[in-house]
Parts: sequence; structure tokens; C-alpha cells
Amino acid sequence: MFEEFSLSPEWALAVRTLIALTMVSAVCSVIGCLVILRRMSFLADALAHSMLAGVVGGYLLMKLVFGVEASAPGMLLGALLAGFLTVATIGFITRVSRIKQDTAIGIMYTGIFALGGFFASYKPLSQHIQVDLYHFVVGSVLSVTDADMWMLVGVTIIVLASVVFFFRQLKLTSFDPVMAAAIGIPVVALDYLLTACASLVVVSGVTIVGVVLVVALMITPAATAYLLQDRLHRMMWVAVLFGILSSWIGYGLAAFAGVAPGPAIVIVNTGAFVLTLTLSPRYGLIADWWRRRKSVPQIMTEDVLLVAFRAKPALATQQAMLEAIGGSMRQLKKTLTYLQGKNWLESVDGRWQLTTEGNMEAQRLLRAHRLWETYLDQVGMPAEQVHETAERLEHVHDESAVDYLDDKLGHPLVDPHGSEIPEDVQRLQSGEGVKLSFLREGYRVQVVRLLPCESLTSKITQGLVLSVGARTSDLEHWRVCTEDQTWFDLDHQAADSVEVRVVGYLPPSS
Amino acid sequence: MIKSKPQPSTEPRPAIEVNHLTVSYGPVPALLDVSFKIPPGQLIGIIGPNGSGKSTLIKTLLGFMSPDFGNIRLYGQPIEKSRGRVAYVPQRGAVDWDFPVTVREVVLMGRYGHVPWYRDLGRKEHDIANHALELVRMTPYADRQIGQLSGGQQQRVFMARAMAQGGDILLLDEPFAGVDAATENAILEVLKETRSAGKTLVVVHHDLSTAATYFDALLLLKQRLYAYGPADKILNPTLLSEVYEGQLQVFSNLGVRSGAAEEPA
Repeated sequence: MFEEFSLSPEWALAVRTLIALTMVSAVCSVIGCLVILRRMSFLADALAHSMLAGVVGGYLLMKLVFGVEASAPGMLLGALLAGFLTVATIGFITRVSRIKQDTAIGIMYTGIFALGGFFASYKPLSQHIQVDLYHFVVGSVLSVTDADMWMLVGVTIIVLASVVFFFRQLKLTSFDPVMAAAIGIPVVALDYLLTACASLVVVSGVTIVGVVLVVALMITPAATAYLLQDRLHRMMWVAVLFGILSSWIGYGLAAFAGVAPGPAIVIVNTGAFVLTLTLSPRYGLIADWWRRRKSVPQIMTEDVLLVAFRAKPALATQQAMLEAIGGSMRQLKKTLTYLQGKNWLESVDGRWQLTTEGNMEAQRLLRAHRLWETYLDQVGMPAEQVHETAERLEHVHDESAVDYLDDKLGHPLVDPHGSEIPEDVQRLQSGEGVKLSFLREGYRVQVVRLLPCESLTSKITQGLVLSVGARTSDLEHWRVCTEDQTWFDLDHQAADSVEVRVVGYLPPSS
Repeated sequence: MIKSKPQPSTEPRPAIEVNHLTVSYGPVPALLDVSFKIPPGQLIGIIGPNGSGKSTLIKTLLGFMSPDFGNIRLYGQPIEKSRGRVAYVPQRGAVDWDFPVTVREVVLMGRYGHVPWYRDLGRKEHDIANHALELVRMTPYADRQIGQLSGGQQQRVFMARAMAQGGDILLLDEPFAGVDAATENAILEVLKETRSAGKTLVVVHHDLSTAATYFDALLLLKQRLYAYGPADKILNPTLLSEVYEGQLQVFSNLGVRSGAAEEPA
């Protein structure tokens, strides 16, 4: 059938070879995806090697017992048996001894491979071997026989059908075998199915690129796809695409340069992998480098915001910023671009000023800085070291951490240098619930929630609207006033137990 | 950095003294303003939910991470000057129990840091290792391969190694994780014996239901030190529900205890 194309013999051969290559690459890539996800790459290599022994065994058996010369089914069956023997013995050794799996694979496949080599070179037997076993070692795509073609068609159908029908089961057993077993999926049977598929794939691949390189056909396209896709079925499609394209290009390259196709195909596959490793948008080296280059150090952004804030109302120049925070001009420019992109900073005639949002962010950072200063002062740090240490600690500005400091320090209004500690304006304006203790004079608030507290007067109820007055001079009491002008003094504990929402603000008249 | 207040001379020098420790990986601190003192010869449990800074604390005590602020003193010495006084006992899962090495060899490894690479381990090193083996009553098993021991015995071996290393402070990362009840008891025995030998043990622990009975005191950690003291003070439902927010298992475990606690005596 394959000769019936009305093409010149060379072209007929080429088409036939390409069809064979397409089938082999497709099945190898699909199975390869499962193989690399199960970290079985080395096992695939083992299967390929032990297969040689199976081929020799199958060949000799058919020839000596049944008198059939070069029986393809015989060799195929031998190869499969050898594959299973290898997998079974590896499993056995790992189970009964302290030998780890990688070592067991190394022992068994070389052993079985050597057994094949032993009989293939044993005179009384080897004189019967009329096929060139060398082909099995390096492969030969150009000598694909009709029988090989039919075998490939069969293998392709069986393997693809198995993967399609049992896709979910194979996915789950590869991801979480224990859970798969628990819900009644026959994990062991599926393992054998996968091993059988891998063996079939290896046998078909061996005819093309040989024992040594067949692993590349399985795992390289799969690994390439793994760098590009995050879902198994897409990874399989991409692997198949890479596998087929690489084999076509490799075949063309081989014909053009007059070299053996096997190595050429593997080289193209490897090249595609290296290229992907470099260029992949998500997991590639260049993308990674670009992300790192583009990322702006947190500390620098925060320093720039604070410098711009302290410069107010004047606009900060780049030179002044650089002097204040150090670092390189390139880094500074990158940081400024980043902050501009976040809409925290805007440029006016080459100078910089904070936007409203940037101003809030800077206040948040300044709050952290000044609370850390107050904290450092309180734990007894000498005054001359306080500012410098706080410069370092201000970068720890997570809201709940800063709130904790604020609370622990009794919600101070000024830092040890007498500068006002800013409020977290952004949060207050957002209308989310906040403890009354965080609020200062001038706010109008509505009570959202009350936590049980003994020192809290029962007059304060949920839904009540309050105006916050000035704190008592010792800072220990919060003064609030209801709409009918009744004043209450709340201690710290009571102020903590009232959760409120800001509804308005009236700057206190000084 | 921080001036420590002069201490009354009657109080024994703490084995571990942590002052205002803040450690961060970014804007969010892993540990914030953590201070505590552990007297020598105590068995302390660190409890807290996942990601609460337990392992950051251990890493900082080992000197692997430098704090953003605050300091740690071990027997009054800053941490840089007390390398080797702190010994780390690895999680059981982190050890390859099939490794071809005997009990004695593992304990001798504790001495490797004390001998230059070009010198053999001398008499002195062997004596120290043997003494450590005796302390944990593992001398009869000295020539066994480490995989051929029970769980409790395996723990003893690593305690002996920590002692041979010269560690007065032993940090243990979840020694009870994934062991059966018998082994758990055996390991607890080892910990108590080690404490009797004058060592200070700090144990990362997950199981609240056993925390009460195993330790002299508990450190309840979640970024901040929520509480430090005897178990009955720490394991109260209000505190725990604040720290382990929404983790229902905690409430059900403590249901009985909380009922009993609220009953007037």
C-alpha cells in the first residue's frame, strides 16, 4: 500500500519516512509528557536499553524454534517482555532492599542490556543472526520496512487511544497516586498500561533513532512543552507539535547535509529546548532576567516617596533625591518611572511631586517611620541612633504590624523629635471599620460594632454617630461627643472595643 | 543596641534571652517585637499556627538569619560569640535512615566542627562522644546502623550528637511529627532526661492537645509573642481563638477544658 503513491522512488521513500517520523514523534511526545511528570526519564532510558536484549531473544526464538527469519512480531514481543522484566525487577529490588530506585534502574537495565549483548555475540547463536543489530543501537529511519510501518500504525493507535480514553486516570495517578488508589482507580493497572505504552513507543522509536537516542524523542519535546504550558493536555499538544516539527526539520537537515537522520533529529529537538529555555515567556531565562531588571527595589521606592514628601511644598529634583538616598542614577530613573506608572509621583518640568495617592502612601510610610522612632526611644535606644535605625525599620510597614506598634505605644501623637505622627489616612477614608483608638480630633464616626468591655459606658450603642474630640493631655483618654452634645471619656481599652466607620472630618480649629 | 536593665544577681543568667526581636523578609515582619527569657534547664514548647514565625525564630536563634532589630543573648553572650552552644536536632523526615553510618559515628559528627580537617579525631573527641552516648543510654547500641533502632532510640542518637557538639541549648523542630504514641512517649522521655542533664530545650510543637502536659512553659507565637508562660495560662480558649482564628479543631479540642475553667471552684 505504501508503494502505491505515484511518485518517483526517492520521493516515495521520503514521504514514507516522514509519515513514519510523524507517528513516532507524536506518540513519543505524548508518552514523554507523562514520563517526565512522573520523574521516570531514567526509566525510559532503561526500557530502551533492555529492549535490545528482548529483540535478540525474540529474533533467536522465532528463528531457531519456528524458523521465521526476522519476525517483526517476535522481536516486538521480545522487546515488550524485556521491558516488563526490567520494570518488574526494578520494582522488586526497590521494595525488598534499601537500594533506591535510581540505583536499581542502573543495575537492572545494564544487566539486561549486557545479557542481550552477550547472546548476540555468542558464536553458536550469533551465526544465526542475519539482521544488523547495529541498527538497533543507532537506528535507521531509511530502512523502514512495510512491517515496520504497520507496526507503527498499530502502536500509534494503541498508545493514542490509551491516553485519550484514560487521560483523567493517568493524570490523577501521576499527580497523586495515593488519592487515586483511595477512590478506586486501579493504580497498578494504569502503571502497567503506561509502562506498556512507553515500551511500545520505545520500540517504535528505536527503529528510527536507535537505543541511545530514543529517550530524547520522548523527553525533550515534553520538557520543551513543560516550559511553555501549565496544563497537561495543552502540554501534550505542544509536545507533539515540537516533536513532529523537530523530526521533520531534522530529517531535512540530515538529507541536506548528508548525515544520519537520528542524530540530526535529536539535535534539532535539543536546539528547540535550549531556545525555549532562553525565550519562554514565563519560565525562560530572558523573561526572568527582564523581570528582575524591571523590578524596582522596595526600599528605593519607599525612600523616593519619603524624600518627595519631605521636600514639600518644593518639588524634588533627581539630583537632590540621589544625594538623599544614594544608589545609581539608572536605578533612580527606573524607580521614578515605576512610581509614575503607579500614579504616585508626577513630573513637573523635570522635577517631581507626589500625587494625592502618592501623598497618602508617603504618609503611611512616614507613620511607620515615626512610630518605629517612638518605639526605639521607648525601648531605650540612645537618641542619636534612633533616626538611623528607624530608617531601616520603616521598610517594615505592614499595616497590622504598624498598628500593633501604635497600640502598644498608646497611640502617640508625636514622635520623640516632636514631629507629628501621620494617620493612616487612606484606611480612614476607605470607610472600613477601624478601632476608635486610632482616631484623632475632628473625625465624625459611626459605631459599627461593639466588643465586650467592662469600662465602656452602655450609652454608646451600635449605629450611634460620634464626634471625636481632643485626647486628654496625658493621652490616656479618648473624648467623644454624641450629636446631643453629651461627652464621654473612654480609656484605651474602651476605645479599642468600639469599632467605627469614618463618615466625616472637620479640621479642629486651633 | 538596647541597653539591658541591670539584673538582680540572685536571678540565674537566662539560657536564652531575646530582646525586642523583629525579623522581616519585606514589609511584613515574620517576628515583631518578640521578647522572652528562658532559664537554663527548661523544656519549652513553641506553638502557633502555620507561618507564625516559629521556624524564623529557630533560624534566628541558630544565627542563620540576622534580625532587623533587637538582640539575642545565649548565657549572656551575643549570638556571634556562642556558635556551637546551640545545637539543632533535625526533623526525623530529614534524615536518611538507610545511610551506612553507625550510632557512634553520628554522635562523633558532633565533634567534626571542633577538629581541623587535617587532624584525626583524637582520644578526647571519642571520650566526649562516648560520654554523650552514655548520657542518653545508647552505649549498648553504639555500633548499630541508625536504621536499626526504634523511633525513641533514633531521637536519642541525635540528642547525643547535639550534646557532643557542646550544645547547652537544643533546638528541636517537630520531634513528634509523624510518630506513633509509643515512640512519642519514648521521645518525650529522652527530652526530659536531656533536661535533667542541665540542657535547655526549645521544641517546635504542633499538637495543642499534648502541649499542656509536655512542657515547662509554652511560647505562643504568631508574628508577635502572644503569650509565654505555664501551659494552663496559655491554653485558654480566648487567647487561642485569637491566634488560631477560624481553625475549628482548636475549639472542639478545648471544649472540655474551657467548660472546666469557667466553673467556679
